[in-house]
Amino acid sequence: MAIPNFLYKNNRVLLKELTKTDFKLRYQGSVLGYLWALLRPLMMFAILYIVFAKLLRFGGDIPHYPVYLLAGTTLWSFFTECTSQGIQAMVIRGDLIRKICFPKYIVVVSSTLTAVINLLINLVVVIIFALINGVTPSWTWLIVPVLVLELYTLSLGISFLLGAINVKYRDITSIWEVLTQALFYAVPIIYPIAMVSSTSAVAAKAILLNPIAQIVQDIRYCLITDQSVTTWNYIGNPFLKAIPIIIVVVVLVWGSWYFRKKSKKFAEEI
Amino acid sequence: MEKDAPVVISVKNLHKSFKLPTERAGGLKNAIFNRLRGVKGYTEHKVLNGISFDIKEGEFVGIVGRNGSGKSTLLKTLARIYFPEKGSVDVNGNLIPFIELGVGFNPELTGRENIYLNGALLGFSNKEMDTMYDEIVDFAELRPFMNQKLKNFSSGMQVRLAFSIAIRAKGDILLLDEVLAVGDAEFQKKCNDYFASIKGKQTVILVTHSMANVREFCTRGILIEEGRVKLDDKPDKVADAYEKLWG
Repeated sequence: MAIPNFLYKNNRVLLKELTKTDFKLRYQGSVLGYLWALLRPLMMFAILYIVFAKLLRFGGDIPHYPVYLLAGTTLWSFFTECTSQGIQAMVIRGDLIRKICFPKYIVVVSSTLTAVINLLINLVVVIIFALINGVTPSWTWLIVPVLVLELYTLSLGISFLLGAINVKYRDITSIWEVLTQALFYAVPIIYPIAMVSSTSAVAAKAILLNPIAQIVQDIRYCLITDQSVTTWNYIGNPFLKAIPIIIVVVVLVWGSWYFRKKSKKFAEEI
Repeated sequence: MEKDAPVVISVKNLHKSFKLPTERAGGLKNAIFNRLRGVKGYTEHKVLNGISFDIKEGEFVGIVGRNGSGKSTLLKTLARIYFPEKGSVDVNGNLIPFIELGVGFNPELTGRENIYLNGALLGFSNKEMDTMYDEIVDFAELRPFMNQKLKNFSSGMQVRLAFSIAIRAKGDILLLDEVLAVGDAEFQKKCNDYFASIKGKQTVILVTHSMANVREFCTRGILIEEGRVKLDDKPDKVADAYEKLWG
């Protein structure tokens, strides 16, 4: 078994080939093809926009609320797509794992990279919408890639951890589906944080300790409006402020350690 | 074989067993119940029981034995798909495993794309595949079809392509499970001629049930029974023993 190493050239070649294949096959046989990578999240956004911004008037006094909402749904779609693909990657590629020896983490990374490509395309759309909506570009836009990387790190960590368990206990796929549904409401994607903090400041603080909430609010802050309530400007205690980052690091380290430990037995158990 | 050829594969006291679940349904529920009840939930099944042998460069080794004797498990352990439970496997050189032909082949990709994907899975870079590509296509005799999707290939053409990758991939050691000749009669003859031509030049490990193949191509035979090496000798002797036992 080769030591997991991105610098090892042949591993990179395999990663590239698998990602290319995944991306090519994703929209195989559909009339609009790759356009679906754009259309799906935009349609999701249209539904949420009509229900929450127009009918329920969730936007409040947040400037550029439609773009604010679009950024949130885009990031959320990425998180769910990335983790669900990553968790199921080993099972979907079971035929390879049973018959060829290669570093297993490549399968997980390649299946999540398709989601990353989709996210990058969608972020361009967010930026175009922001400019149309009258958001002025600012130097804080440069921080966004770092935050996207943080979200990807978290998604990859979850994929490694749950993907390794999923090889033996396929229940994980269903459990994760339900969990992400629940998580969707625990993260301020559709509702502004102000709606929670007006009834309970503690609840609002608890929500902002979730790394997904921290990342989404930060990206909105950097990209769209400084009216976005973030972990940094809402929570005072510096130790509490660090919690989202700590969660991301712990999940990645724990996930990759567990995945590596279990990967020796994947070929037998799958 | 010459006595002084370097050893390329060294297997020492190899053990391997599998846990077979006793309950019909697996999953989380049973795992939790079994833990609560203190039941193991599986039985151990010993497949390899202390296998040892050395293979030297240029040997064409036929591994024979009945179904369930541990041949395929041995092959998968050599290919590092399974990990040894006890003992060791040392491989010196680039080993190309063909446990099954066309692993990772995708019907929606073209013949050409499938060759490069298969090559990447075997650990070759695109540049290395460029140098092998023409030979693979020529051996398969499928050049006019390379830009067609694999799903439009006949099944015979698909195995021909897969097989050509297997034998044209530039590896030091070739592992083959039950595949020597595929396709129509003419292509099968081509495969057989090829194996006859590399006998003694390339290291090959072949798992097979065909004693005719063992006699014709192998330079050495290993008979496996109940996870142990029962006989390790000249191909004719191993084939005779196999036929006497189960023929």
